[in-house]
This record gives sequence, C-alpha cells and structure tokens, in this order.
Amino acid sequence: MMILVIGGSGSGKSSYAEEAVCSVFEEDMKKYYLATMQVFDEEGQKKIERHRKLRSGKGFLTIEQPRSIGRSLEKMDGGKKTVLLECISNLTANEMFAGERPRLEMQVVENVVSGLRKLKENTTNLVVVSNNIFEDGIVYDQTTMDYIHAMGEINQRLAAMADRVVEVVAGIPVVI
Amino acid sequence: MKLVIGGYAQGKLSYVLEKYGLQKDEVWDGILPDHTVSEQKTVVIDHLHHWVKNRILDGGYPEKEIETFLNEFEDCILISDEIGNGIIPLNAFERGYRERVGRILILLAKRAEEVERVICGIGQKIK
Repeated sequence: MMILVIGGSGSGKSSYAEEAVCSVFEEDMKKYYLATMQVFDEEGQKKIERHRKLRSGKGFLTIEQPRSIGRSLEKMDGGKKTVLLECISNLTANEMFAGERPRLEMQVVENVVSGLRKLKENTTNLVVVSNNIFEDGIVYDQTTMDYIHAMGEINQRLAAMADRVVEVVAGIPVVI
Repeated sequence: MKLVIGGYAQGKLSYVLEKYGLQKDEVWDGILPDHTVSEQKTVVIDHLHHWVKNRILDGGYPEKEIETFLNEFEDCILISDEIGNGIIPLNAFERGYRERVGRILILLAKRAEEVERVICGIGQKIK
C-alpha cells in the first residue's frame, strides 16, 4: 500500500501523513521515519523540532537519509514495515544540489523515482509526503525552474505508482 | 463561520457575493470590523491573508486575535488566498508569514461549519 500526500507550506500535510501511517500500521510491523532534511540554521532546527514533537510517542524509528533514498532499506530490519518518507521536495533538492554544479533534471528524476520504487517493493506500507510548489506564478532562474520541473515530473510518477493520492488543504484531506 | 480559500485571482469574492446575494460595499477588505458593527448583517472579510501580514508587521498575534474576533462574529464569511503552494521564499519574513497563514487556515478550517475552495470561479466544498 502506497499513499502519496501532497500539500503546500503550512497545509497540515505532515500531521495528516502521520495519521495515515497510524491507520495502516499493524502491531507486527516496524515503523520507520525517513528524514531527508539537512539542517543549516536555527530555522531548520526549529522545523525539525516541531516535526519531532508531532511524531513523539508514536513509535517511529528515525533514519536520516538526505540522498540516495533507496539505500535507507539497508538500515531497516527485515520483516513487515510501514515507512513514512518526508519529504520529496527536500530529497529532490538534496539530489540536485549536492555537488558543485546542479545535476541534470532527468538524472535527479530517475534517481528519486527508482529509489521510491525500491522502497515501495520492499515495504508493507509506504507513505510519502510531497510538496505543492507549483502555484506562485513566479518565473525563477533556470536552475530553480529545472528543480520545479523535476518536482512536477516526480510527483506525477509517484502519483502513478501510489494506491491513493491525497491533497491536504487547510488541514482537510482531499482525495484526488 | 464559513471559510473560502483558493489561489490568487480565482474569483473567490465574486463567488461569495453571488452565492450569498451580497454587495461589494458590504465587504471588509483586509481588516476586521470591531464590535460597533451591527451583528445583524453577514460580515464578509476579504483578503484575510493581508490582515494576517499586517498584524505580524504590527507585532500582533493574529492566531489569538482571529479567535477573539470569531467569538463575537460567529456567522461571518472569511476569504483568504492560499499562499503556501510555491517555492520557499528566500526572505525569512515571507517564509514565516506564509507558514503562519497556512497554520491559521488550518485552525479556521477546523472551526468552520463549511470550507470551500474556489478554482476558476468554481467553489468546491471540502468541508
């Protein structure tokens, strides 16, 4: 079972994704949280703290995996598992901007999608959080436009892979 | 309270005016009325996100203030842009503002008896 959760900034997509995990989770499973965010400043630290608080007491084992998401499987035990991945926009940015020069859009898309496919095949339940970054109408520099385009492509491919796609709007889940 | 949200220039205000048979001059644009306003009339607030921005700039606490307002004007219609669906702004204030508008909309959506999202002038009832 794969659920893709998408929403804008401050839409409540994380809390919803955690609820979704709890609804598919069963006692005989391990519960993993794949964290992709790299912290560079106090604001990032605060964001992580807020998310940690949301998750606390829910029994998640956290794996930090800012890149090469498929490799997180090496850090998990065998057997049944429910995995929450947060979030595709960080993962994509990390993949694209890790080196001195941005990587090609198509390479980034392939890398993220193939990693996610591997995760889907090797987990019982996979809940993936992604971001709606597409509606501010601003034309950015080419690199940022490439990033937006890569994100759009990845979201479409993940939506095709998923059993359910949910958009969270002002905390309200809308199944699309 | 009814909450109407949607992207920029999606026809949210026209949608509300037509649906509830109201006039444009009855609408509060980016400000909240105080208690001197008659509670008989339906109070409509447009551009609620502008009000949030101004309250933050003035050192206010919009999350609390909007609750206080709603305790008095239970039957109002609130209209706000959804501003969180874009690239993370470089500017720290804009980032914080965007996040806070999102969180306020979640609070309001919880409290609302009805939430509609307007796209291309068409209202979708999501609660």
